[in-house]
This record gives sequence, C-alpha cells and structure tokens, in this order.
Amino acid sequence: MKIDKKQWLYQILFAAITIVLLFPIIFAISNSFKTLEEATNHIWRFIPAAPTLENYRHVFERLPFVRITMNTFLIAFTVTVFKSLTSILAAYAFVFLDFKGKGSLYFVLISTMFIPFTVTMIPNYITVSALGLNDNIWGVALPQLSDALGIFLLRQSMRTVPKSLIEVARMEKIGHARIIRDILLPLVKPAVVSTGIIFFINSWNEYVWPVLILKSKENYTLSLALQMFISSEGGTDFTVAMAVSVTTMIVPLILYMIFQKYIINTFALSGVKG
Amino acid sequence: MKKRKLKEQILATCLILPSLIVFTIFMFWPLARTVYLSFFDWNMIKPVKKFVGFQNYVTLLTDDLTYKVLGNTLLYIAILLVINFVFPYILSFILSFLMRKGKGFYKTAFFLPSVISLVVGSILYVWILNPVTGPIAKILVHFGIVLPIWSKSEGLVIWILSLVTSWKVFGYNFIIVLSGVMGVPQEVIEAAKIDHVSNYRIFTQIILPMSSATGIYVFIITIVQGLQYVFTPIKVVTQGGPNYASSNLIYQTYHEAFYMYRTGVASAFSVLSMVLFVGLLVLEFKYVEKGVYYEN
Repeated sequence: MKIDKKQWLYQILFAAITIVLLFPIIFAISNSFKTLEEATNHIWRFIPAAPTLENYRHVFERLPFVRITMNTFLIAFTVTVFKSLTSILAAYAFVFLDFKGKGSLYFVLISTMFIPFTVTMIPNYITVSALGLNDNIWGVALPQLSDALGIFLLRQSMRTVPKSLIEVARMEKIGHARIIRDILLPLVKPAVVSTGIIFFINSWNEYVWPVLILKSKENYTLSLALQMFISSEGGTDFTVAMAVSVTTMIVPLILYMIFQKYIINTFALSGVKG
Repeated sequence: MKKRKLKEQILATCLILPSLIVFTIFMFWPLARTVYLSFFDWNMIKPVKKFVGFQNYVTLLTDDLTYKVLGNTLLYIAILLVINFVFPYILSFILSFLMRKGKGFYKTAFFLPSVISLVVGSILYVWILNPVTGPIAKILVHFGIVLPIWSKSEGLVIWILSLVTSWKVFGYNFIIVLSGVMGVPQEVIEAAKIDHVSNYRIFTQIILPMSSATGIYVFIITIVQGLQYVFTPIKVVTQGGPNYASSNLIYQTYHEAFYMYRTGVASAFSVLSMVLFVGLLVLEFKYVEKGVYYEN
C-alpha cells in the first residue's frame, strides 16, 4: 500500500509540471477566440462563451500577414534544405571515410556550437550589409547554410550503421552518391527527418539574427511581427496578441505532433557520448 | 592501396567543403575579425577605424556596469542550472526507476514548449504574469497578495526572465538527461534496491556517476545556450532594464553594438564573454572529469 501512495505522489508531481508547462499554450489559444471584453472579465474561462474570429481578422488587416508567413517559410525552407545537405555530406565523410586531420577538424567544427552568437554578430552584419542583403530575407538565410548541430546529430546516428555494410558496397564499386542515397539514407531516415524538422522549427522561431537584418514590415518574419504586439503598436490589444502568438506557434506545434517520436529519439541520442 | 588513400582524402575534402566554406565565412573569419575589431575605436559607419590598443578592454574593466552585468550573468546561470539541470536530473531518476506509468506521455508533454518561439513565450508570460490583469494576479488578489511590477523590479526581473527561458529549455534538457539516466542498467538499480540502499544514495552514488558524460554535456549547454536564449526575453520584455538590472553579457554586447554603436567596445565585450565561457568549460571539465565514470 505504501508504494502505491508514493506512485500517486509522483504522478501528481509530474502532472503538476505538465500543467505549468502547457498552461501558456492553452491560455493563448483560449483567449485568442474571445472578445476583448470577455477576456478581460473572464480570463480564467477556458472555453469562450461567445467564440469569435475577430482577433485573427484583425491580424490579417493590420499586417501583410500572408507575406510575413511566406518570408518565414522561405527562410526556414532554404535553411533546412541546405543545412540538411551539407550536414549529410560532412557526417558521411566523418563516419565512413579515412582522411588526415579528421579528429581535429571534427572537434573544431563541433566546438563552434559553444561560441556565443555575439562573437560573430558584428562581422556577419558587416558582411551581409556589404553584399547588399540588409533588410532582405536572403541575408537572414545566408550565414546559416551549414550547421554544427546537424553534423553532430547525423554523425551520431550514422555511427550506428555497420561500417562493413558500406565497405561491401564500396568493394562492389558502387559510387558514393548511390551509397548515400540508396543504402545509408534509408537506414538513418528517422534521424535525417527529425534533424530536418528541428532545423525548420528553429529557423521558424529564430529571432536574434532576423531582428538585426530585417527592417521593413513586408520583409518581417513571424517572430518580428509578433514582437510589435508587445510594444506601442499592440498596446492593450491582449486578444489580438494571443491570436498572433497562436498563428506563430501553430506550425511548429503541428510538426511536433506528427514527428514527436522521431524528434525525441534524435535528441535523446545527442547526449550519448562518442 | 596508396591510391585509394589519396582518393579518399580528396573525396572527404569535397564532402566537407560546403560546410567548411560556410563555417569559414560566417564563423571562423568573423571570430578573428571580432578580436581584431576589439582593438579599434569604430562605429561601423565611419570610413576610418582608429587603433586604440587595449583601450576598449580598459574601458570595460574599469566600468562598474560591466561588473553589474557580470553579476547578473552569474545569477542567470545559477537559476538556469537549478531549473534546467538539477530538476531534470532528479525528475529523470524518478521517471526512469521509481515511476511505473507515464514515461511516454510525460516525455512528449515536457518537450512540447521547446518547439515554440521564445518571442511567443515572452509575450505569453508578460500577459500571464501581468501584475494587474493577468490570471495569476486575479487569483492572488483573493488572498490579498499583489504581484509586484516585476519587469521594473531589480532582482526579481532576472528570476522571471529565467523562468520564461526555462519554459523552453527545460523539456529539451529533460529529454537528454533522461536518455543518459535510462542508460544506467536496470539490474544495477534493482540490486541496490534489494540491498535496501536508499533512493538518495542510489541517485548520488550510482545514477550521477554512471550518467556523468551526459550530465556534463547538459551542464555545458545549459550555461552556453541558456545565456543566449535569455537574450530573447530580455530584448522583448525589458531591453536590459530597469537600469541594466536584467542585462547579461550577451544582451550587453548587442546593446553596445547596435544601440550605442561602440563597435570596438562591443567586440571587446564579446571576446570577454567568450573567454569566460571557455574558462568555465575548462574549469568544469577539470573539476568534474575526476568524478566521471568511464565504461570500458
């Protein structure tokens, strides 16, 4: 009996943490469908008495919203494709090929994960401006076409593929492009997919770099548009701010719901030493 | 055989080259350039940079503000470590070895906020913790408690911004720590339980040493990424205020570079933060390495 009591305590503890973590999301969704009046008077009411789409209509009216969503998508898509490609190629070389300086090169690339962005921020700003890409979505994407985290995660998963399998394929004189496409990728597909999803979500949510580069509203990404609703321009429009928040988080949330098993397993791998 | 080796070297170079080009242009070269710029007086616009030697570093190290920001940074690190390193460790232990149900569900639920933008997180918390109209304030008012205006309160503001950041970071760290803790063989724990070893001792003497590789990794990313994540709530909610009470090394560098336009000082600041980061990591490695458990 004593053990059961403890089990209950643990369950209550974990349930409480879950509620704390998920509350903000439910709070945003629920209030985004309320009128400002209802939200003010009944902030704890989870299901709106008189649901309205007015707040969402407002968002579309006040901002070039389709354009902003398109910008966010284009940046995230480009970054994801390039990061995935460059990471797959590099990880393959690091796992299956022998070459001089392999260990130290890998170490140098991976240690960049621990460099704070402020260290590269000023020169990169100067470079992007010099290329005429200031206030341009391609200026946001350009410095992020490769990624240490991607090389790291994909290397971790490619290491689980037996080296002998790749060796045999090479003995059979199968080209490296075909080895990667037809043998390796199908085997590490979950890791590639989830790394790609992670790239996409991270880029979708990115704030620091776009805030430096993008100046005009029609070039904004969702994170930047969202930020306007906390300052003067949003003011007291609580329900509208909730509607923008919901529209910004909906895409990552859906992607997560679909791919959560993959994503969690890939991250679980990242802490394993080696 | 020798020919194959050469071919392989060339091939490997070609495969890594795309990444290496991006890294060189947007990581290694900027790094060197930041160090270079830290010796100049410049504002990113003036055509001429004036060489000033170590003057920027002297300016920084003799400014009280630098030490205030440094103190804030350490407080941020301490809070983030407790919430996103200590708690996940204990909870991972409970979930892996003491709880019988719910592993899959809690994993999924805890990780969920990690996929949401911190700008969204910041805005939601600004409203949730609004001292007058927010839901928390409305409950507390029944108990006669008035929420302070935290965004304007020195001291308190760091705690709240750390909480906002932790909302995103916690689940991510939890997943990684959990995988490390679950790597400890079940039989070892069972054996200890049969011998009536207390949970506390199982945790400190078996779990911690046997998952220390993962532990160190999470410890490091909590500090390094945590401080960078905090940037977003600072920028969105307080802009470092009130009176720099919520600024940290990362935000202050940004502030110097893009508000004050003191490129040299900002560069010196980022060099200092990098030295601090590297120092912390080296120290940690040396200190913790002794206790690391190696599997053979």
